[in-house]
Amino acid sequence: MTEQLALINLSISEAASALRRGETTAVALTEATLARINQTEPTLQAYATVPADLALAAAEQADRDLASGRDRGPLHGIPIGVKDNCYTEGILTEVGSKVLAGFLPDHDAGVVDRLYAAGAVIIGKTRCHEFSCGGSEPPTRTPWDLERFPGGSSIGSGVALAARSAFGAIGTDTGGSIRIPASINNLVGMKATYGRVSAFGVVPLAWSHDHIGPLTRRVRDNALMLRAIAGHDPRDINSARVEVPDFTAGIERGAQSMRIGIEREYFLYPGLTDEVRAATEAVICQMADLGAEIIEVSLPELEFTRETLNIIGKVESASYHKELIREKGHLYSPGTRATLEIGQAVLGTQYVAALRARERFRSAARALFQRENLAALLSPTIPVPAPLLSDVREPRADADDGETPTDGFVHHVYPANLSGQPALSAPAGFTPDGLPIGYQLMGRPFDEATLYRIAYAYEQTQDWHERQPPQVYD
Amino acid sequence: MPQSNENSTPEEVADRLVRLAEALGLNLAPENLADLAQQLRLLDALERDELQDFAPILKMDAGWHD
Repeated sequence: MTEQLALINLSISEAASALRRGETTAVALTEATLARINQTEPTLQAYATVPADLALAAAEQADRDLASGRDRGPLHGIPIGVKDNCYTEGILTEVGSKVLAGFLPDHDAGVVDRLYAAGAVIIGKTRCHEFSCGGSEPPTRTPWDLERFPGGSSIGSGVALAARSAFGAIGTDTGGSIRIPASINNLVGMKATYGRVSAFGVVPLAWSHDHIGPLTRRVRDNALMLRAIAGHDPRDINSARVEVPDFTAGIERGAQSMRIGIEREYFLYPGLTDEVRAATEAVICQMADLGAEIIEVSLPELEFTRETLNIIGKVESASYHKELIREKGHLYSPGTRATLEIGQAVLGTQYVAALRARERFRSAARALFQRENLAALLSPTIPVPAPLLSDVREPRADADDGETPTDGFVHHVYPANLSGQPALSAPAGFTPDGLPIGYQLMGRPFDEATLYRIAYAYEQTQDWHERQPPQVYD
Repeated sequence: MPQSNENSTPEEVADRLVRLAEALGLNLAPENLADLAQQLRLLDALERDELQDFAPILKMDAGWHD
């Protein structure tokens, strides 16, 4: 294996250790990542912008700091991708839209501030669907199968990690947009508790449900990244004033005695493919083998989460985009514009009804976690493996109700956006064709540490995370 | 107006939405409006039957002094 391949395959933890042992440098990690980007971008197009000179300058500074004893922590000198809806001062931020073509922010998003403070090297801006919702598809492709849907809307963040053209990446998740690409690209994606990570300087999709979080290839790396980017930010009115723990502190304590809820009626619904159902049942069995208590639970309020989130999201999106559409509506793709505009047709009373429904769901979820003393709810992340791009919006041949893959993508992920609970997606295995499958853990607010602990315990029993996508070395 | 009531049919809700969208100058596809109408009908039913005890949250932060 060449030195470049050896470097880009390191986890964040491994790269951080190698840096401190003097076995590599931030510049070497950055150069290897930039070379990887050059190799893979013509095919995969994970990045919207790669500010190579800035990244190398940051890496040189990181090496100087480390040499002088100024160690900023586990992300110090590590190349990280940032979704293109996060403001980056002096670096293009176009959010996949012609509306913002050429936009150079004059300040950084809160999450970018945190990354810089942690010594991370911003290697590039990862592509996303237009304004993070998208009625048009970016040219990004997943190395797991170039013909299949690569995930969204944090599409470039997922693909960059799968392709080893970043060590970690920032995504945002308003309706699954961290967890869906994580599942499709064999990654760990954490949508932390609402307010845990600052949304300042992130172009909104729906304020009530926008979450920012990390994607990584390993569970421990994800915990390290979340600690670096989390924390109160007075510039974000919804930012939580809550202590940020060391999420890795108890990560090796195992899943023993953890009470994990299984809600079969909604989460294991008939829309699951056989492969996803089998993989999920295998994860449940493995959790039981690890000593977790598997509890069958019921949460009928899940049934109205889709409509509730859709109404709130549509209205908030319409509010944010109203003036932009008035000024530059012709620059939106038609499908995106329709998605972002339709909320204007929702009455105020209907929006408030959706807010009340959201509170009803939150109350029911809270009561369930308290009554059953649950550590987490376990489910698939999405009901299908990555579909062919040509089939994404077509009714599934194996579904009775005409559900499209796009419809199904939101089934398992929406509830945590609505309730604000943390939710993590991690690798659960592969289909016989070699497509990744993910599982999801939903947890108690501000208890991401428990989700990491469970996911880490499971990760130790499998080698899913070590599998390489077939396009990586071709 | 697209507010439905107990007697509204799906077609009536969708029709009201189309007229409202036109009044607002929105150029929306009929299928998009039909999806929205369906979601609103489900929400209206939920509101009538199951949301009596639930208000939108407005939590006050005691930390205004800092």
